[in-house]
Amino acid sequence: MSTIVATSDTLPDEVWTKTTRDVNSMVVRGVLAKPHPSFYLALFIAASCALMGGLAWLLQIIYGMGLSGLNSPVYWGVYITNFVFWVGIGHAGTLISAILFLFRAKWRNSINRSAEAMTVFAVLTAGLFPLIHVGRVYLAAYWMAPLPNTNNLWVNFRSPLIWDVVAISTYLTVSLLFWYMGLVPDLAAIRDRTKGLRRFVYGILSFGWTGTLKQWHHYEVGYALLAALATPLVLSVHSIVSWDFAMSIQPGWHTTIFPPYFVAGAILSGCAMVYTLVVPVRKMFGLEELIRAEHLEACLKLTLLTSTIVAYAYAIEFFVAWYSGAFYEWSIFKLRAYGPYSFYFWVMVFCNCLFPLLFWSKRVRRCIPVCMVICVLINVGMWFERYNIIISSLVEDFVPGSWGHYQPSLTEIAITVGSFGWFFMWFLIFVKFFPFISMSELKLIMPGQKSSSHQPAAAGASS
Amino acid sequence: MPKRQQAGVLALYPFEDTFATALRAVMNTQGFTGAVPYTPASYHGLMAVAHDLYGASPVRWLTLVGGLVGCTTGLLMPILMDYDWPLVVGGKTAGLYSLPVVVIFMFEFFILLGAIATILGMLWFGKLANPRAQVLDERLTDDMFGLFVPGLHAGSPQVAQLKQLGATEIRAIKGQ
Repeated sequence: MSTIVATSDTLPDEVWTKTTRDVNSMVVRGVLAKPHPSFYLALFIAASCALMGGLAWLLQIIYGMGLSGLNSPVYWGVYITNFVFWVGIGHAGTLISAILFLFRAKWRNSINRSAEAMTVFAVLTAGLFPLIHVGRVYLAAYWMAPLPNTNNLWVNFRSPLIWDVVAISTYLTVSLLFWYMGLVPDLAAIRDRTKGLRRFVYGILSFGWTGTLKQWHHYEVGYALLAALATPLVLSVHSIVSWDFAMSIQPGWHTTIFPPYFVAGAILSGCAMVYTLVVPVRKMFGLEELIRAEHLEACLKLTLLTSTIVAYAYAIEFFVAWYSGAFYEWSIFKLRAYGPYSFYFWVMVFCNCLFPLLFWSKRVRRCIPVCMVICVLINVGMWFERYNIIISSLVEDFVPGSWGHYQPSLTEIAITVGSFGWFFMWFLIFVKFFPFISMSELKLIMPGQKSSSHQPAAAGASS
Repeated sequence: MPKRQQAGVLALYPFEDTFATALRAVMNTQGFTGAVPYTPASYHGLMAVAHDLYGASPVRWLTLVGGLVGCTTGLLMPILMDYDWPLVVGGKTAGLYSLPVVVIFMFEFFILLGAIATILGMLWFGKLANPRAQVLDERLTDDMFGLFVPGLHAGSPQVAQLKQLGATEIRAIKGQ
C-alpha cells in the first residue's frame, strides 16, 4: 500500500495512507452503506438495556421511591452517582473540541465529532437523573424552573443546586450548538452525494450550506469564538457540580480541592469513554485509516496525564484529612479505605491510578485491545469514585445515632444499566445517520490539497 | 428571498495554494465583479485571503453584545428576584449582600447568550438558512476549489486568465 508522508500541516510523525480526496467517500460510505452486522447487534443490546431502564423508571413512578434503596441517611445514592458520572463523561467532548482546538492540537480533528456527540448524549443522560431522583417527575418541571411558587417565593439563588441547573443547562445548550455548527458543512457534503429524499433531508439539515469563502470566513470566526466561550465553561461546569458537595459541611465533601479534582476526573473518564466509543465504531465502518493509531495514542497520553492528576488529588485529600487534625474528616477517610465500602475505594484506586500507568509504555499504547480494557476499567473506576464520595460520606456523619447503610436496589441497578443503554443507543444512531468524523476538519491535517510545486499549475483546462 | 442563480462560469482548482494565488490575482479586479469563491474546508491560506477580501468578521461584535446582555441578565435576575421576596437561608441575607453568588449567574448567562448570538451571527452573515441554495458542482464540498464568475462565457478573456492561474476545468453555469 502506498503511503503519503506528512507535510507541515499534518502531525509531525504521521504517515498517511489516504489523502484528502478519500475523506468524503470513506466517511459518507459509512452513512449511506449498510453497516457491519455487529452494529445492529450493538444497537439491539443498547436499546434493550434502555428499555429495561425505562420500565424500571416507570415502575418507580407508579409505586414510588420505596422501590429504590434510598433511605435515611443516604438520600443521594446511585442516581446522583450516575448524574455526576455522566456529566463527567460529557467533559472530554468539549475539552477535545474546544480546548484542543485553541491549542491547535491537530490529532483532535479525527475524533472531535465523536467526542462532541458523546458530550451531548452524556449530558442528556445526566439530565435524566435529577428527574429520576425526585420521584414524582410530573411535578419536577415546575420545581426546577425559576418560577415563584404559590406564596410568590423565588428559588434560593444561594443554593448550589440552582447553580448546577443553570450550569448544566448552559453546558448542554453550548455543546449542542458547537456540535451542530461543526456538522453543517459535512451535512452539506452528504447532501451533495445523495439523491431524492435523502438529499432533501440533508439539504434542510445543512441549512443550504454551499461552502462559499464568505460562509467559511464567518464560520471560522464563530467557531473560534464558541471554542473560546466553551473553554471556561468546561472548567466551570464540573467545578459547580463539585460544589453540590463541597458547599455542604459533610465530612469528606467540604474541601477546597473538589473543583480541580472533579474537573481532572471528568476529563479522565471522558477521554477513556472517547477511546471506548471510537475504537469499535471505526472498525464497524472501516475507518481505521482516518482515525489512526497516532490519534488514539494521543488520546491515551491525555488520559495518562489526567490520571496522574487524579491520583495526586486522591493522595492530597487523604493528607489534608490527616494533617488538619479534623477528627470526623479523618474518620471518614479511614472508613473509605478500611470500612465496609473499602472494596469500592480500592477498585477506584486501581482503575484510576494504577492501571493507567501502563500507558507510559508505547508498546501498551499501540496495543488497542489492552488499551480498550484499561479504558473500560477507568470508566468503572470513575463510576466507583463518585459512588465512594457520595455513599461513604452520607452513611456516617457527625451523629452516630443517624448512621446507616446503603445498598442499591434492583430498580436502581436496572436504571443505571438502562442509562448506559440509552447513551450507547443514541450514539449508535448518530454514527449511522451523521458523519462521525469531521470531514472538513480532517482534510486540514491530511496531505493532498497542496500543489507539489506551490506554483500555479500549467494551463490545461478543459471547457 | 434568495437571488436566482446567475449565468456565468465556474473555474475549478484542485489545489488550495494555487487557488489562493488565483484569488489574490483576480478578486476585486475588472472583469471579475461579483465573483464567488468556494472551498471544501477552511484552509488557513484561504482564510487569510478571506480576511483580506472581506475584512474582520462582524460575528465577534454579536458575540460581545450577546455576552454583555447575558452578563447583565445574570446580574439583574437573581438580585431582582431576591428583592421581590428576600429569602434568608442560613443567615445569608438577600440581594446585593450575596453578590458573590450572582457572579456564577453572570458567568453562565454570559457564555449562554454569547454562544447563541455567535451562532445567529454566523447564520446571518453566512446567509443561512437558505432553502434555495444552488449547488454549482458537487465536488465543491468534496475536494475541489471553485471560483464562480457571473456574466462570463467560455470564450471570455477572463476564462483564459483563470486557466493560466491553474484552473483545471471550466464549467458553464446556466442562469435560472
